[in-house]
Amino acid sequence: MSPVTKEATFPSTVQRRTFSELALKIRVSGVLAFLLIISVIFSLLTARFFTVQNITVIASNAAILAIVASAQAIVLLTRNVDVSAGSMMGFTAYLTADYAARHQGIGAELVFMALVIGVVLGIINGLLVAYGKVSSLIATLATMSLYRGFTYIYAHGQEVTSNKLPRWMLNSVDLRIGGIPALVILCILIVAGVAIFLRDYPLGRQIYAVGSNPLASVFYGLRTQRIILLAYGLSGLLCGFAGLLYAARVGTVTVILASGWEMASLAAAVIGGVSVTGGSGTVIGAALGALVLATVDNGLVLLGIPEFWRMFVQGSSIVAAAAVDVFIGLKIRDSLQRRRFGRTLV
Amino acid sequence: MKRKANSVWRLSQWELMLIILTIAAAACSAQLSPYYLNLDQIADSSRQFIIPGLLALGLMVVVVLGEIDISLASTLAVGTVMLSKFSAFHVQLWLAFPVVLVICALLGALNGVLVAWLGLPSLAVTLGTMGAYRGLAFIIGTEQGYTDFDDSYLWCGTERVLGDIVPVSLIVFGVVALVVGFVVHQTVFGRRCFSVGHNKDAAWFSGIEVRKLKIQTYTLAGALAALAALVWIGQYGSARGDNADGMILFVITAVVLGGVDISGGRGTVLGVVLSLLLLGTIRNGMGCRKVWYLVPFAC
Repeated sequence: MSPVTKEATFPSTVQRRTFSELALKIRVSGVLAFLLIISVIFSLLTARFFTVQNITVIASNAAILAIVASAQAIVLLTRNVDVSAGSMMGFTAYLTADYAARHQGIGAELVFMALVIGVVLGIINGLLVAYGKVSSLIATLATMSLYRGFTYIYAHGQEVTSNKLPRWMLNSVDLRIGGIPALVILCILIVAGVAIFLRDYPLGRQIYAVGSNPLASVFYGLRTQRIILLAYGLSGLLCGFAGLLYAARVGTVTVILASGWEMASLAAAVIGGVSVTGGSGTVIGAALGALVLATVDNGLVLLGIPEFWRMFVQGSSIVAAAAVDVFIGLKIRDSLQRRRFGRTLV
Repeated sequence: MKRKANSVWRLSQWELMLIILTIAAAACSAQLSPYYLNLDQIADSSRQFIIPGLLALGLMVVVVLGEIDISLASTLAVGTVMLSKFSAFHVQLWLAFPVVLVICALLGALNGVLVAWLGLPSLAVTLGTMGAYRGLAFIIGTEQGYTDFDDSYLWCGTERVLGDIVPVSLIVFGVVALVVGFVVHQTVFGRRCFSVGHNKDAAWFSGIEVRKLKIQTYTLAGALAALAALVWIGQYGSARGDNADGMILFVITAVVLGGVDISGGRGTVLGVVLSLLLLGTIRNGMGCRKVWYLVPFAC
């Protein structure tokens, strides 16, 4: 029995193929539609939601999470996971804030310092996963505690209060350019930069290739270990920067800063359509996922709903997003098989 | 027959190493503190690992199948707040606990259904339900802690028997470990778990209902979380929505350190128990919660 049949020319299969292609697009636009729906619901329920001031608040709250979510997305694309994101943020934030508190005159080199610390932490993760062959969940769970533990050891029970931080650091986060918070603009620039890197540059495409089929990418001649290391390094870089931003935004830097962000960033990435099985999704989706989480948070607070419902809603939406993701993945597989063989294989 | 007995009782190199490390840790602790070598103290130190241990035994079976469940600590929290509600309404324990057991098992089964029937990746699903169940625990229990437990609720976690030395919870843990060990290593169910973990497709072709098996193991893990909730209430005398937040980390560490392959198909209950003993000894001896984080790197 030949796999190629004449069914491919039947008009009905062509129609169904277009449906599958629609499903492909839903993956990207689904999160946008979801965002619109919840925005409309919240606008109808409370008048305070759809105001310029509130939308600015939502965008600022989402900005840092969006950066961490894109870091998470890069790692997820390679079929790995990074649970240490929150600890990397906390570690970087505490070290840089402490250094800034001791050297009051420090300027922009603080940003450089945060980036370097972030990259080093990310590369440790990457070395463990890519070269140490430790399962990514285990490796980053371990480094999550390890980085947090080092922060505790370094801090000796102290915290860096906001009056010790340089003024420019605190002011720059509240800066507005043309009425839009600088934080939001920065976040958009970073996410756009990462998106272009992943979409248009060979290295970016290789990240997708490794995630969609690690074995095939080895046979193709890609250095998968280096690519995974790069993904983790990039993730560390973004997390380090986000940690500095978060420290400046919060003001008082404690040892537990940004704990729980690993879950929030995973949630944002998964809601944004990044597949946990690798190779599929975009950082723009992940950033939109962060926006969805921030919107849900904000709306529930405005409606006066207890905070616990937020966890419940957040958790349920991850499961729902994962379900939609698998459904769309099946549709795509069907579509590809129809294109190749003219029929669906089991 | 002889070979079979051999494979059960012979210690693997890994388990032997865990035993040696445990003895070394205990020796170090005895050097560090004069109060360490004391039967009362050592029996009491079992508190350090019994609650995560019960979760680890449940998680171990799930991991053998090649899946993971990070929502177990949240399931435990649902269990504790449910028990606190029953206690507040003066419901007898023999009535309340089975109900909580069934509810937690159902929460586990929900994970299983999502993973097995919808084919979702277990990490994403249980990440979601981890948040959802935690929210549920807060919704049921509110953020107010409940401490006014009936004595019968506390018995399992506080009481000591056999000359007032051995905690009841340690006996419960031992029995559960034996039962899980028997089920995993001596029954058809257990063999099927391992074969699914080795090769899911081959297992399916040889007639194993993979989906049903997955749901069963998730249900078992959920039920054990309910038991852990009962022990929790006894040990801490309180119940709140944030109970055991972050404990899953310790649980996963214990399972992996116990020599269970995270990608499924390999591992022993004995290894998990030994790794719990090791982690418990280190935690107890150092009296420092942060030191065990270094353990995954030592191996």
